[in-house]
Amino acid sequence: MSDPALSLTDVSLSLMGNAGRVDILRDISLEVARGETMGLVGPSGSGKSSLLMLMGGLETATSGRITALDTDITRMGEDALARFRRDNMGVVFQSFHLIPTMTALENVATPLELAGHRDAFDRAQAELADMGLSDRAGHYPGQLSGGEQQRVALARAAAPRPKVLLADEPTGNLDETNGAAIIDMLFGLRERHGATLILVTHAPELARRCDRILPLRDGRMDSGKAATE
Amino acid sequence: MNAPLAYRLARRELRGGLRGFRIFLACLALGVMAIAAVGTIRASIQAGLADEGAALLGGDAVVTFTYRFAKPDEAAWMNRISEAVSETVDFRSMAVVPGDDPERGLTQVQAVDALYPLIGTVQLDPDMPLDQAFAGTDRLPGAVIERILADRLALAPGDTFRLGTQDFVLSAILESYPDNSGGSFGLGPRTLVQLDDLSDSGLLGEGTLMDSNYRLDLPEGADLAALQSEAEARFSDSGLRWRDARDGAPGVSEFVDRIGAFLVLVGLSGLAVGGVGVSAAVRAYLAGKTEVIATLKTLGATRGTIFLTYFLQIGILTVLGVGIGLIMGALVPLALSPLIAERLPIPARFTLYPAPLAEAALYGVLTAGIFTLWPLARTEQLRAATLFRDIGDGAAHLPALRYLLAIGLLLAALVGAAVWFSGTALLTLWTTGGIAAALGLLVLAALGVGWLARRFRRAARGRPTLRLALGAIGAQRGETTSVVLSLGLGLTVLAAVGQIDGNLRRSISDELPEVAPSYFFVDIQPDQIDGVRARLEEDPAVRDYEAAPMLRGIITRINDQPAAEVTDHWVLEGDRGLTYSAEPRPGTVVTDGKWWAPDHDGPPQISFSREEAEEMGLSLGDTLTVNILGRDITAEITSFRQVDFDDAGMGFILSMNPAALQGAPHSWISTVYAEPQAEAAILRDLSQAYPNITAIRIRDAIDRVLVVLGGIAAATRYGALATLVTGFLVLIGAAAAGERTRTYEAAVLKTLGAPRGRILRSFALRAALLGLSAALVALAAGMAGGWAVSTFVMETGFTPIWSNALAIVFGGVLTTLLAGLAFALRPLSAKPARVLRARE
Repeated sequence: MSDPALSLTDVSLSLMGNAGRVDILRDISLEVARGETMGLVGPSGSGKSSLLMLMGGLETATSGRITALDTDITRMGEDALARFRRDNMGVVFQSFHLIPTMTALENVATPLELAGHRDAFDRAQAELADMGLSDRAGHYPGQLSGGEQQRVALARAAAPRPKVLLADEPTGNLDETNGAAIIDMLFGLRERHGATLILVTHAPELARRCDRILPLRDGRMDSGKAATE
Repeated sequence: MNAPLAYRLARRELRGGLRGFRIFLACLALGVMAIAAVGTIRASIQAGLADEGAALLGGDAVVTFTYRFAKPDEAAWMNRISEAVSETVDFRSMAVVPGDDPERGLTQVQAVDALYPLIGTVQLDPDMPLDQAFAGTDRLPGAVIERILADRLALAPGDTFRLGTQDFVLSAILESYPDNSGGSFGLGPRTLVQLDDLSDSGLLGEGTLMDSNYRLDLPEGADLAALQSEAEARFSDSGLRWRDARDGAPGVSEFVDRIGAFLVLVGLSGLAVGGVGVSAAVRAYLAGKTEVIATLKTLGATRGTIFLTYFLQIGILTVLGVGIGLIMGALVPLALSPLIAERLPIPARFTLYPAPLAEAALYGVLTAGIFTLWPLARTEQLRAATLFRDIGDGAAHLPALRYLLAIGLLLAALVGAAVWFSGTALLTLWTTGGIAAALGLLVLAALGVGWLARRFRRAARGRPTLRLALGAIGAQRGETTSVVLSLGLGLTVLAAVGQIDGNLRRSISDELPEVAPSYFFVDIQPDQIDGVRARLEEDPAVRDYEAAPMLRGIITRINDQPAAEVTDHWVLEGDRGLTYSAEPRPGTVVTDGKWWAPDHDGPPQISFSREEAEEMGLSLGDTLTVNILGRDITAEITSFRQVDFDDAGMGFILSMNPAALQGAPHSWISTVYAEPQAEAAILRDLSQAYPNITAIRIRDAIDRVLVVLGGIAAATRYGALATLVTGFLVLIGAAAAGERTRTYEAAVLKTLGAPRGRILRSFALRAALLGLSAALVALAAGMAGGWAVSTFVMETGFTPIWSNALAIVFGGVLTTLLAGLAFALRPLSAKPARVLRARE
């Protein structure tokens, strides 16, 4: 694949737990093309979320090499990784992870402010309007429903127009209706802005909406089940 | 309510250990320790004074007369009740080293008889018996002086110096002597001479300001109280003063008692700050127990049982915290006793004293009750259904009325106990009122800081570091309140002490010398006053001088009732200086009544200071009986006048018409206002012409006062520092409690692209802003307190001491920064993926 958005070569992740060393991921090699959507699926504990974290530079690989947008992020320092994410990536979590001391508008504006955008709040307001949350801009996360919180998280991830969107079970904490709405918004964003989307999910119908599905089992790529639409 | 069940539940919950209660225990223990330690030191000093009462007096009892020696009937009575009576005379004088340019030093002379000291020993350097030191040489009698005076006059044993017109050879340095209870508080270092050797000195003329002391060696088992009653009954109007070994150093004892009481009250502010930490710890503990409480309620536990379950747990922890504080408070003074004893000019017996420990324990338990009942009471309001939905409903409910009443009762008990133990209701009520007001102000300030932070957050858009900090301050109300309260109260006390001390120092050290006379000359004999006047009037460098006759007398009766029974006022304590004059002295303002005619020769009349008269409840027409040299003079108050003591000039509370006093032996006193360069010549000329005259340089007296003042301010500052240390503990507790939140915030911010430096700056800014807010509020409260005390109590006037203010602000910011940053490292170093996934 020429000029992929993400490229992982022989990536492994081991962590030291109370019971000793635990191998989370083993010898993962894959490439994700620019603009591609990929669904990471597999049973609990298979390493899906850990792989997503590695792609986002939120976790450091024990071995192997990770390249994102032509930049080797494998041994990048923590601050350099943070700046790289600020300029290139958006992350959505199952538990939203909004900052509780900030309003919805402030949460969305934060990555734009960090990137030095003077119009951070105008853009954040527009992003919230796109998500149908104009009237919730001044509310704190604790004052919002789960679906609303996830929409704020989505707006926050999308606001800086990232080249790569990483979503870790974004509908895991939501009911069916809210979950479907969030997925529609996520794919809508991807289509509007042309970002690469990596999605961790348990839902087969959701995974099927992706260009490619990557199954994981026990920390390895389950290549026998790999499917491409 | 099921008490046995509550006990079993409490015991089971405490099996989890004391995690989360370290700050609770530390706050309580530190507050109790400070109070217990101050109380133990105070008790140690009081015990030392009681043990050494006789040695401090130099006898089992001392009878003192002012201006005169004992009359025959008084001497006969003393000889009858005693096995031995030793006579000494105390007065101030100038020690002069003769030469071309004579050196002069103010000294407190004690002229003693052959029996001195009746009790205790005099330690000399070189070591020798006192009678050998007094023997001197063939030519001159001997004397001993304290080292500080010897050094000042560059005298060594074998050198000669002069008192009045009598030369002495310095035989040895006076290292210690038994009756030194007030040594450190006198105006000059001590000189010991033999009484007989002063007969040709010209120093003990009529009217000289002197005290004669008769130390009594009483028979074994003598009833001191009975003898005191007998003395006072027999010689009630003679001006006789009695002290005995039951309280060997009454002035010192009272001073230690008052300072001790004040420091315990300062310690209470530390305990109040500790209470904030205790309350925060209990809130945090109960917040973590909501699921347990919900489960218990679901299982059928009543509100009372649940309250009792946690009340018992907090009660057990309170006993533990108070116990730790008591042990430390008792042991620290014991461990430091050699150091403390070395610095004390008075004896102290360090051991365990139950009374101050009980006092500290009571304060600790009451404070813990006041600060924990509120959060404990709210366990009743948690409903099982809402608990399972969310942790706490977030709404602020007042506790039930019975708990509010209980808190009120505990508060009243605390203030009542403080009044009882300190023995001074006014000071206690002002101090506790001040603490309560400061706490209330700080709570309001914390709310205001949160409100301002939320309001200014909009203005900080585009500056995420500042916006993050303001957002956290505005949203995390619990942490903001804890920080502002805990730091604020300590800084308030420190600021108030700094402002009061600074203004007092400025007033005494800087302003007083500008308006005060250069010298006081005392003991001027009536036949010398014209010569003194002539010398001063001919000197163009003398800007002004005043001279007045002076006697000393004791007000014994008011309207023919014993004065002590009528009112309790400092004017009635001991003897006072009084004067006479035909006309009001220049500048005198007669506010009420009428001054006597210049040639008034009728019944004696008095003009009294208006302010003191008002305090004592005196009116025109009242009569006062004043004992002067053993003779009673009863006179009517015919006028009040304004007496200003602020400029350290001549201020007599009581003045009489000349005919009433002129006949009594007396001396004159003079104040001299001169250019500094002329002072030395005036002193030299007057001392040479009139060797009996004593000169007191105001600057020296001010320096002595400043030393004492410095000691009091330092002791208070140590007390305030204990409050600040407790506050720092609470800060650490708040920072530690907020660590999990900060870790989460840091992880989210890192995910959004914030580098660690920026996150650290935001955390630092948050801490600094909180510290700055607490410091500014504390400064305002401290300055208000300082202004109130300086203006209304000290009457020094008030000018802000900016160096102290800056130190308070800097200290506040630095303290919160240290506490905040100490707990920022873990959030910064945590891997965001793990933090966030742990919350999934």
